[in-house]
Amino acid sequence: MSATTAQLPDLENGPTDEELVVSTVGGNLASYDELIRRFQSRLYGVIYHLTSNHEDTNDMLMEVFDKAYRSLPTFRGQSSFYTWIYRIAINRTFNFLEKRKRRQGAMSLNELDEDGLPKFDMPDTIARNNPVKSTMLNELQNKLNESMLCLSKEHRTVVTLYDIQGLAHAEIAKIMGCTEGTVRSRLHYAHKQLQKSLGIYLRR
Amino acid sequence: MKQNDDITQLQKLLQLKRHETPGQEYFSRFVDAFHQYQRREILREEPWYAKVVEVLFEPWLAGIPRLATVGASAALLVAGIAFFLGPVGSNSSQLADGKVAHERGIMVASNQSDDSVQIQPELIETAAGGEGTQLRPLYVNGHGAVAYDSRLAF
Repeated sequence: MSATTAQLPDLENGPTDEELVVSTVGGNLASYDELIRRFQSRLYGVIYHLTSNHEDTNDMLMEVFDKAYRSLPTFRGQSSFYTWIYRIAINRTFNFLEKRKRRQGAMSLNELDEDGLPKFDMPDTIARNNPVKSTMLNELQNKLNESMLCLSKEHRTVVTLYDIQGLAHAEIAKIMGCTEGTVRSRLHYAHKQLQKSLGIYLRR
Repeated sequence: MKQNDDITQLQKLLQLKRHETPGQEYFSRFVDAFHQYQRREILREEPWYAKVVEVLFEPWLAGIPRLATVGASAALLVAGIAFFLGPVGSNSSQLADGKVAHERGIMVASNQSDDSVQIQPELIETAAGGEGTQLRPLYVNGHGAVAYDSRLAF
């Protein structure tokens, strides 16, 4: 793909996602590289907050972009590319979570994030100045991950998309293929559950 | 009011998770890593059933409308039910002494040691025992009764 970078069309003026899709299907593979750059961080976030494991997230992200690339000719533009690729990512991650559950039962916290990748960007700077605060943040991160993993995958997804990624209810409904009412109800239930498990951190 | 405050606090807490990223260096190398991944995937042959599973569970990704998938699944289900409820052997019942009675017509078989399928008219009995009950021949293979098939009878 990088061999065709020179032919990249007018990226400075910001082609839309749909224009990049058309360009990719037309054979300009550098356009797909641009789509990857646009979505890699957001999709990484979605997958990571569902799996709580960086290594799995890396594998899944590759698979999602590969699947989307192969399926681009069937993309009819009925929804935005943004919604479409989010749906691929969430469906694939759900399948992966089912397989992981069958393979090893419920994951323990000790199994999460043992891949050597940095957990937080933020604590790197904090750690130099305040090791106590860094330890507290790590403890908080573990508790957050633990609480998220206690939610069902559907509830975890709405929390990830709404609270962490800041998407609107309507966008989440389109991505998950349900009504806005369902999104709101799932969010309400998930908040209740999280309030219970994170209660001591909320009152600090 | 307190509940709203709690939700706001919770949302602030959850937003901390935005910082759980592998860092900018990872993302700047991702496209290259993806190209390598794609080259490996091209060499790896996908099993045939992977495509079937994908069409069943993600039809929208294969460009198939949802209605078509629902229709095809319903047709498959009906065909499956029809197959398993087929007529052969479905409406016979085992009697206590190893004999078999057919609910239409009459057929009784007994367990014999002979492996070959035989027709033993002398074992024919009537289930109802009344007049007008049609007598049918019987197949015995020595391991128990064989399902009755009128096309094979004499």
